[in-house]
Amino acid sequence: MSDSSLLIVLSTLSTGLIMGAIFSLVAAGVTIVYGCVWLPNASNGQFFLLAALVVWTFTLSFGWSSLAASLAVIVLGVLLAVVLELVLIRRLYNAPNRNVAYFVVTLGLTQILSGIFSLTYAKWSDQFSVPPVIEGITMLGPFPISNNRLLAMVVSLGVLGLLFALLRYHPYGRALRAVFQNREAAALRGVNVRAIYRLSFVLGSTIIFLGGILFAFAYSFDLSVAWTMSITAFAIMIVGGPGSVLGALVVGMTFGFTQAIVSIFASPTVAMFSYLGAMLIMLLFQPNGLFKR
Amino acid sequence: MKLLEVSGLSKSFGGVAALANVVGHSIEGETLGMIGPNGSGKTTFVNVVSGHVRADRGTLTFAGVNIARMRPHQLAEVGLCRTYQAVRVFSELSTRQNIENARLLLEDRGLGAAEVRELTEWLRLDRNLDKQAGSLTLFEQRRLELLMRLVLKPRLIMLDEPVGGLAVTEVNEMITLLQELKARCSLFVIEHTMRVIRELADRVMVLIAGEKVADGPPSEILQNQRVIDEYLGNAAHA
Amino acid sequence: MTSHSQYGIAAATLVILALPFLLAGNRFLGFVLGMTLISLLWATGMNLLSGFVGLMPLMFAGIAGIAGYAMVYFTRTAGWSFWLAMPVASLLAAIIGVALGLPALRLKGFYFTLCSLVIQSVLTLAFIFFPKFTNGDTGINEIAPPDWFGGTALTGVRFDFALAVAAVAGILFSTWLTQTHLGKKFVAVREDDVLAESIGIDVVRTRITAFFIVSLYAGIGGCFYSAYVGFISPRAFDVLVSLNIWLFVTFGGRGTILGPIIGTAILAPIPFLLQDLQAFKDILSGTLIILVTLLMPGGIYGAWLKLLSRKRGREVQTTQVREQGV
Repeated sequence: MSDSSLLIVLSTLSTGLIMGAIFSLVAAGVTIVYGCVWLPNASNGQFFLLAALVVWTFTLSFGWSSLAASLAVIVLGVLLAVVLELVLIRRLYNAPNRNVAYFVVTLGLTQILSGIFSLTYAKWSDQFSVPPVIEGITMLGPFPISNNRLLAMVVSLGVLGLLFALLRYHPYGRALRAVFQNREAAALRGVNVRAIYRLSFVLGSTIIFLGGILFAFAYSFDLSVAWTMSITAFAIMIVGGPGSVLGALVVGMTFGFTQAIVSIFASPTVAMFSYLGAMLIMLLFQPNGLFKR
Repeated sequence: MKLLEVSGLSKSFGGVAALANVVGHSIEGETLGMIGPNGSGKTTFVNVVSGHVRADRGTLTFAGVNIARMRPHQLAEVGLCRTYQAVRVFSELSTRQNIENARLLLEDRGLGAAEVRELTEWLRLDRNLDKQAGSLTLFEQRRLELLMRLVLKPRLIMLDEPVGGLAVTEVNEMITLLQELKARCSLFVIEHTMRVIRELADRVMVLIAGEKVADGPPSEILQNQRVIDEYLGNAAHA
Repeated sequence: MTSHSQYGIAAATLVILALPFLLAGNRFLGFVLGMTLISLLWATGMNLLSGFVGLMPLMFAGIAGIAGYAMVYFTRTAGWSFWLAMPVASLLAAIIGVALGLPALRLKGFYFTLCSLVIQSVLTLAFIFFPKFTNGDTGINEIAPPDWFGGTALTGVRFDFALAVAAVAGILFSTWLTQTHLGKKFVAVREDDVLAESIGIDVVRTRITAFFIVSLYAGIGGCFYSAYVGFISPRAFDVLVSLNIWLFVTFGGRGTILGPIIGTAILAPIPFLLQDLQAFKDILSGTLIILVTLLMPGGIYGAWLKLLSRKRGREVQTTQVREQGV
């Protein structure tokens, strides 16, 4: 293989892995919340963007170190999730047609956040870039990958691994899966369903925020990533199977590679078309997705 | 004549057999009952027969017509309908509107206004016609459910736990109502309390773990050893 | 239909027809009126399907867009009169709408909403990425207003009045529909499709018919929008438009005739009157969506009706039946 084609292949591979890892992470966050609380979070893209933008503010405007900024955003994110749960989310736990109601409410949330961003960040910059966490490049053969991006990927996959472990081995995780599968049965077995709802909403949202932080360090971005991420995350969730973290991982990585490959030939919007198409096909033929919860 | 005929009916959900080779029939004019513990497949049976779920295998006919692939609205046209365990009415609409909706199927071929009025009075819903259906008491809603089915001029009504949630006096009244109902159409009552079945059914099918375990008059069923062991022995009976 | 609502609809009709003349002196307010009337037509249509229990057709704006772009094509490229192009374009959009919506209509609740959203996104992307027909993101401008008798064009107050007539026609048609068997089937399917099917209503066919009619409303509104504003772009027909119309309907009171009228009358003018504060429009919109969902599922008109019936002592019992029945 010639040097330039090898370069292209490696470049595509690395982009696919990194994007895929981040996609999977965000999708995992979305799918946990949907699978457990029946809450399809239409504003997940805005959460993602919010985290990225606040990291930008903390590092660039306040001059904080990347680590400090990330931790601060996580803490603030958890707080935001808790407040949202208290004020908004818990009111609909017993509503009929809960998933539609939540979808609508989160659409409203999306609009609010989008409006806030237009009033603030949109006026300050078109493009946002965050200084790297670690400098330097690793060579993968002839191909340089920024250590920064490698870090983003490693952390994403690491968190996903932790998530798996949590769901499988930790009592909280098992309770979560019990509620995923059958709310009434879990309640009968003594699981505090409401507490699990709270936990999974905060956990899922925090994971989405984390995804945003990692993305900010890996790539420069603009405000449109909010809706592209939302669509991608939903597509991954539907195709992978609502509630399935494994599905989020597998399909997320697939979509990451799809994006990387498509970007060689065409604009990323074509990839968007393909995600929408995949979601549509899944909805029509196999609404439960490929993997079980 | 035979109304409902079921043979070899089987349905599995993800590897678990909810119904296994169920065989049975109902005869016009006779009240058929079905009992079984929770999880025995009663609800699946009703859902399959009423067109909400498709069976994996088996035959299903009604008055000689193959209804295996029919959707609920087609079954209503053929004369087969059902009520729901958790009572179901159009809660945001008025009682009157609920009844009108049920009359949409038959339009001019249906019951005349006088007959509907008579039935409404018989079921003691005439004072509540303008009330929102969701604000009626549970018993009133169950009666409304019945009224909506009667308006369809059915040949067989499948009643899924018709006394669920009712107070004792209401249960008695419901049983009386259902006995009077028999003059109009055949009934198929699915219950898990023996008492209701004993007072209403001419013949009973017992379903345990998806299989039909017994089929006969209530008195016979009560003496069936297997039924006693697996069901009556430890289940609730009123 | 209660006499109460009959009077309400009659009053609304008169007000709508009178407004173009009352606002004749002020072109800005006239324009706001015109846009509100188009939204009203859309809201009246969407009401046939919508609500949480009903369907949330987020692809509504996309269908309006198909008609809008088609109308421009017919009048510009084929040289047709607006009055021929409009019905044809609307019919075309309705047929495409049903074709696109058909597979989605089998889905329940949230899955339908999501599918509808996906289809809307595909349509918006199609509008952007097929510039041959749509001129992409740049949009099409200098769209001629409808032709009128004597070689003139329908502009100004006369156009506003035409829109008022269209809106009223839409309202009256919708009112008539609720009295028909078909209309009652729409309502039954919208309220509880499983129950509706149990009592003999062909849910799928009813949904398709409803969707066709709703798409016609979308399409006709889309054609008028194009001719009235004179400029269209993919942004004019994106998911936010669908969401806003849904908000007008739900805020006003879904499932009633007056509800959408009230909701549109209150909410539609706001973005125009708040001109400089565009981003606030999003925040306001989003907040209203959340408030309506949490606090006022019946909308303003629903709350009003509840108040009335309580005063007249009609509410005798409010037993919590739901908890018993689950």
